[in-house]
Amino acid sequence: MKKLIFLLAAVCALGLFACKPERLVTPSEPVKDLSGSWAIIKASRNGTDITTRFDFSHFRINFSDSSYTIDSLVPFIVNRNGKWSFDDPQYPFNINFRAADSAQKSSPLLFPVTNGKRNVIITFSPGCDLNSYQYTLQKAN
Amino acid sequence: MKHKNLRWQIICGLLLLLIVGCSISIDSIVQPASVNGGDNLPVTLNVTIVTNQGQTSNFMVAVLVPKVWKARQNATVTFTSDISSGSQPMTVIPVGTAAPQGGGADWPTLLLNKIGNGGNLIADYEWVAFYSNSSYTIGGNVTVHATVSINIKTSPDNLSFKLGYCVANSTDGLSSPDRFGSYFPGCFRVNGTGDLIDFCNPQLSSIDPRTSLENDIVTVTFDGGVTSTPLDNASQVYMCMTGVLTTGDSVSVCSQTDITKMSSLGLNKWQKDFWPRKLFNLADNQHLSSLRYYFTDAAGNNKVGYGGGAAPFTYTFKCQ
Repeated sequence: MKKLIFLLAAVCALGLFACKPERLVTPSEPVKDLSGSWAIIKASRNGTDITTRFDFSHFRINFSDSSYTIDSLVPFIVNRNGKWSFDDPQYPFNINFRAADSAQKSSPLLFPVTNGKRNVIITFSPGCDLNSYQYTLQKAN
Repeated sequence: MKHKNLRWQIICGLLLLLIVGCSISIDSIVQPASVNGGDNLPVTLNVTIVTNQGQTSNFMVAVLVPKVWKARQNATVTFTSDISSGSQPMTVIPVGTAAPQGGGADWPTLLLNKIGNGGNLIADYEWVAFYSNSSYTIGGNVTVHATVSINIKTSPDNLSFKLGYCVANSTDGLSSPDRFGSYFPGCFRVNGTGDLIDFCNPQLSSIDPRTSLENDIVTVTFDGGVTSTPLDNASQVYMCMTGVLTTGDSVSVCSQTDITKMSSLGLNKWQKDFWPRKLFNLADNQHLSSLRYYFTDAAGNNKVGYGGGAAPFTYTFKCQ
């Protein structure tokens, strides 16, 4: 009888100590890190792929904390170096560029991962508003 | 066993597709052969819808038009039918709205992929789709006649274009050829101002996009297959460009170098993509109003201009 009571007590103790409060961790959106130098890997104009038809190979945009610089300019949302920001740092849907002495320009932003590499896709009109360009940027090696 | 189930699933799916839904066709169309630039273009489509089984859907009407018309803002579409009372309004479907059974594509993309561009040779067209403001319930084995009235305010531009029309519904989309009706009545003419923008006939030279500024990437095409020119046997073709500034001054780039060298597309067709601002090395305060250009061979001796003659091709930088 004593043994049975001891056994029951041991099982109860095990059950009690086996339980512990579950800590719920709120999933956090990964930070969209743009810092570094980005190159154009794909370009389209009005839906037509022009990546291989125009020389985008030397273009680079270099993002730091809040500034950007451009090397070997091609038709782009801005023509000069300046400041950049996201519309919402945690959940950005747009990226804003403010070139020196110019008004702010915004582009819709996509941030997909393709083949294990982070891409940045921006859409803008450097000339006529009817002409829409989409550039896919990837970190330059 | 698995294969047997799959086979039955496919057969049932196909039967369901055959049973559910309705066929739509455009029986006839009333459209003028031409209008004056800036006038309204009235079009009437006579449509028949035949159902196999009951369905509740919105009616869809789409038009293939030159982008310069801005039909999203400048077109109205209404219809009357056997099953509705009075004129039924329709509203333009925003770009990006997924079309039914379109694999995620929106209506303009799906229409272009499934129905095409009507044979227009300049890539400056768009499909603009409209949904009826209301949805309609139609019983099985019913035939419905509808008369669609389209009114589009044209732009002042002088152009010829192959208009296109499509009717479908918000359930079946363009899922199979009997689920929609399309119609291309041929080349339509707007007697407007400026050089003729001919979407219907092959051009010796064309520029894409049709409307652009010097900060766009511009594509010049020379199609030597259209007519015989002194460049028929050229192994390389170059652009000879003069940019006219808004001040009236001009800048030229006419040497036969890599900067002006065109790429062969075969069949004596040549193409060059360039950024006018860079080609002419423009300062920030300089802007182009137009281009005058020729095509030459590698030696620069044979020069081809408008219509194969000595006058240059011209292109005006503008956005509308």
